[in-house]
This record gives sequence, C-alpha cells and structure tokens, in this order.
Amino acid sequence: MKRRELLKRGAALAVAAPYVITARSQETLIVNTQGGEYQELVERVVIRPFEKKFGVKVIHDATGTASQDYAKIRAARGAPGFDVAGLLTPPEVILGMKEGFLEKLTEREVPNLKYLWDKSWSVIPPGSGAPHTLQYAALVYNKEKVERPRSWADYWEPQKRYGDKIKGHVINYNPANLLSVYALIHAAQLGGGGVDNMEPAWSRLKAQKPYVGVVVTGSAEAVPHFENGQVWISPYWSGRSGYYIDRGLPFEMLIPQEGVIGLFDVACVPVGGKNKKLAYEFLNWRLDRDIQRQWALAYFTSPTRGDVELPARFAATQIVTREQMARTQFPDSDVIGARRKDWTLKWQEIMA
Amino acid sequence: MVVNRTPWWLVAAPMALLLVFFVLPNALLLSTSFLKSEAQQLTSELTLENYGFLFGKSIYQWAFVRTFLVGACVGLLTVLLGYPLAYFLVRTKSRWKGLLIALSLAPLLASVVVRTYGWYIILNRFGVANDLFLNLGLISERIAFMPSTGAIIIGLAHALLPYTVLTIMGSLNGINPNLEQAAMSLGASRTRTFLHVVLPLSLPGVAGGFILAFSIAISAYATPAILGGPATQVMATAIYGFMTQLLDWSIGAALAVILILSSFLLLYAAARLGARQAAL
Repeated sequence: MKRRELLKRGAALAVAAPYVITARSQETLIVNTQGGEYQELVERVVIRPFEKKFGVKVIHDATGTASQDYAKIRAARGAPGFDVAGLLTPPEVILGMKEGFLEKLTEREVPNLKYLWDKSWSVIPPGSGAPHTLQYAALVYNKEKVERPRSWADYWEPQKRYGDKIKGHVINYNPANLLSVYALIHAAQLGGGGVDNMEPAWSRLKAQKPYVGVVVTGSAEAVPHFENGQVWISPYWSGRSGYYIDRGLPFEMLIPQEGVIGLFDVACVPVGGKNKKLAYEFLNWRLDRDIQRQWALAYFTSPTRGDVELPARFAATQIVTREQMARTQFPDSDVIGARRKDWTLKWQEIMA
Repeated sequence: MVVNRTPWWLVAAPMALLLVFFVLPNALLLSTSFLKSEAQQLTSELTLENYGFLFGKSIYQWAFVRTFLVGACVGLLTVLLGYPLAYFLVRTKSRWKGLLIALSLAPLLASVVVRTYGWYIILNRFGVANDLFLNLGLISERIAFMPSTGAIIIGLAHALLPYTVLTIMGSLNGINPNLEQAAMSLGASRTRTFLHVVLPLSLPGVAGGFILAFSIAISAYATPAILGGPATQVMATAIYGFMTQLLDWSIGAALAVILILSSFLLLYAAARLGARQAAL
C-alpha cells in the first residue's frame, strides 16, 4: 500500500469511527450534576464505573440547579468549565439549542440515542441532549398525619379534605422550580385550564395560601420540612420521594387520579467543552442499558429507554411501558420557558 | 523648587484592575439593561421596557421599598445596639477586656448562612419563639414570624452588629480622655459629658457604622433568601431570580443597575452630609 493510500484510509477511518476511548487513555472529564443525595448515588452508580471502564478521571462538579448551570453556560458563552452539563431540564435544553450553546448530538457520537423513547424527541429537540432519567411530579403525604389523598384537588384545596388541622402544613414552591410549574398546571387543569390558560391555577393558589406554612424554591429545601413533620402534603419529584421514603421518611407517594406530568433529566455537551470525545462517551455510558437499570433502582426513577427490565413491584410505580408513557403528560417546555416569568410574577403577587 | 510629579505608574496597576474587573462589567451590565429580551433570549433591540416593567409592577416597587427599609432599619438597630456595647468595651477596666472584645466579635467566625439558620429555627411557625409564647400564654395560635421583612431585619442586624461595634469602637478610642475630665472638672455631670462631649465626637464612627451596615444590608442575599423566602423579595434576591432562575438577563441587569445607582446616590448623599457636619 502506498503512503498516500495509507493516509487516505487512516483519515477515512478517523472520520467514520465512533468516538471510542481506549482503556489506556488517562484523560480528565469534568461532569456537572448536583449535590445532596444525588451526588453520592451518581458517583457510585455512574461515574466510578465509567472511570474504571475507560481508565479516565472524572471530576464531579456537584454545584447548582439546572437553571443555575445553564446560566453558567450562557455567561461563559458555551465554555462553563465543565465538559458535561449532566442535569439540565427540557426548558434549559430548548433554550440552549436556540442560543447555540449546546452541541447537537447524533447516533454517531452517542450510539445509545437510538434506544430512547420516541417521545423524548417531542419533549426536547431531536439530538439536543441525552435524556437519561425519567421521573414525574408525584403527590406525597405524611401517612402518620393525614389520610391518603386521591386528587390534585386535595393538595390545592386541602381544607376541603382535611379541615383546619392542615393549616400551616402545606408547602408551596416558587415557579423558578419546575415542580411548582407542574403543580400549577395541574391546578389549572382542575378548573378546565392548562398551559394556555392558567387563570384557574391562580384562584386555587389564592385559596390554598392560608393553609401554606412553608414556601421554598429548591426541591432539596423541602426535605428538612418533611423530616421535622411540618409539611404533610406536597407535590414532589418521584425519584427523590422514593429515595427518602426508602430511608424511613413516613411519607407515601402516589399518582393522583388526574395523572402526573413527566420530567426528563438531560445530559448535554456545551459547545466550548474541552473534552468532547470523552463527553460523548459519558453520555453514551449514561444511556447504557445496564447503567440505566442500576440508576433507576438506585434513584427510584424510570429508565429513558424501553428495553430495561425492572422488578414488577418497582416498575408499577414507574413509567416503563408504552401505556404508562402514553398516560404521562409532557407539557410544551417551549411554552413553559416563554411564560415562566409571567407565571412567577403572578405567583409572587399572590404569595407576597 | 520642588516639582510635585504624580507617580502615575503607582496607580496604573490598580486602575487597570478596576477598569477590567469593575468598570467594564458594570458597563456591560448597563448596556444589557437596555436590551430587549424575548422568550428568555437577549436581542440587539434597544428598549426602556425593562425599567418600565420594574417600575410598573407593585411587586418590584415593594422590593425597592423593602430593600431600603431593611437597610435603614438594620443600620439603625446595629447603631442602637452596638453603641452601648462599643462604649462598654472601650471604657471597661476589666482584666477580661480582650476576651470580651473577642467574644463580641465572635459571631464573625461563623458563616452568615449558619447564623441565619439559627434565626430560622427560632422564628419559624413551629420554632422556639412560637413554642415559648404559646407556653407563656402570650399567643393562642402559632404565628408566622417568617418569612417576613421583620425576620430579615433581625437576621441582618445580628449578622452585621460586629461591624458597627468595631467602627464605633475605633471612633471612641480616638477621643482624648482629657476632654471628658475637663468637662467634668467644670461641673458637667456624667450624662451631660456624654451627651455634649463623647457623643458628638463619636458621631463619625456612628455614621460610618450605619453606612457600613446599610450598604451591606441592601445588597445582602443569603439572609433575605432564607428568612424572607421566595415570596418576600428584596432587590438582591429578585436579581438572583431573574439572572439564574428565570434566565431573563435584561430585567435582571436593569434591577442591578437600579440597586447600584440608588445605593451609590444614597451613600454619596450621606458622605456629603457627613462632610458638611464635619465642617461645622
């Protein structure tokens, strides 16, 4: 083979080959997710095995919420200092693609994208990230204090179900947290509205206000109030709920009769990342079937691909079948992003 | 003849530093505040809408008022509480004086977040204060002491008291003790000596302590965020919300410009007033 031919073939191979990292490379990848209970879990189930398999070093940046992390990406014009934004939510992903700060992915870089639920790409733009965790905004209640709720109305009009004893034991969240947005959408739906008509939500928020004892922004801020017995009923992410209930919190989690709204946690690659090859490999690893299974069981969430087998009892509380997927609502995150400011303002006017 | 040459090169480095890390970012902030934002994205269209939005909504008008009310109340409270403490610490002949000064400044050793959570435990609806008042029969049902503006003032006053005490102590230490002895030797009582000699001479320290507490209080974030919560906003928490939660940078920038300019104007007015008083 002539030298020129050899170079040609080599170049063609380099272009065509998937971004595979050999076990010999000693590279460093900076992955951003979040702290709290999530940090220990993601390091144990996802990050350390990744390091071991690929012979690389992962620096875990466990700071910030999804919107704070995106604010960093935007402020740094796509080079925030981490290679993987491991925990964005659909509104940030959509905005990131519009603003051009997140890389578009294909199955060439992340082969496991092909196994994801089709619905993923109606929630976020196709190839905008790797949705690795699926959970939903459940309703949780303290089983030692109140009877099992049935409907979202039991949260929004708690006095009707529980009387005056519930006063001061209801928690409400700032719409800066998607959990609050989803709960407000349920409130609007109770009155015949929805994302396009939130008026019924505001009347329910006004009615609920006298019974609210705790108001927070971040979901993690709510946990101490669950633990000290101050909060008896709350919307809450299914993953965290399962995690804390499993560790002895006297709460139960349920899907109210009206159903629930699902949330994809998405890992993305900022355009200015220093180690994109390894970042893509990490995203692919996040979607690996075995890792998906282990992660689902560890964090009490659902896999984002439909071919993961889980114990029947566990699967009953998750979104793992086409039917469960079809029943789960996924409101338009583009609309949520565009209207969130107005909703927050309205919420503040009522709650101030 | 002595030529007074300005050693410009001595100030060149700090000036360059200020230019790059203070003037330019603030200029960027100012220009962003005049850009229109659509669906969370900045556009290149110039507008005054961001300021119109903030001044037109009662929730933000209240945030302005609350911010400066908190600043003024915290300044006043720290001066009222800090002055007697500073006076005692300066005048005491106790052999434990050093230890007492260290103890009174000890709160500075703990993070402001930790101190604020202490107040959280005391003031929340199911906290120590409610338990105490209920047991004493002073209240019949639990009261929400927080989230509230009052809780923010208490938390910040506690956090900033050591700064005011230090400033007033510096001023009291600078007063010549012979002046008090002279006043008393001429028949003035202790009270009169204090009111007519010590207090006027210590006023620059009082003003300095007030301004220090005021300026830190109006830009404080952690304490208002914890004790005020998301429903009792001050300007710093609102800026944080727009910048990192709602990702609406034009309104966040406009709010930051209002905070910087208004606090600058107030501090400038205070400094002018102080200079006029000193001249008299």
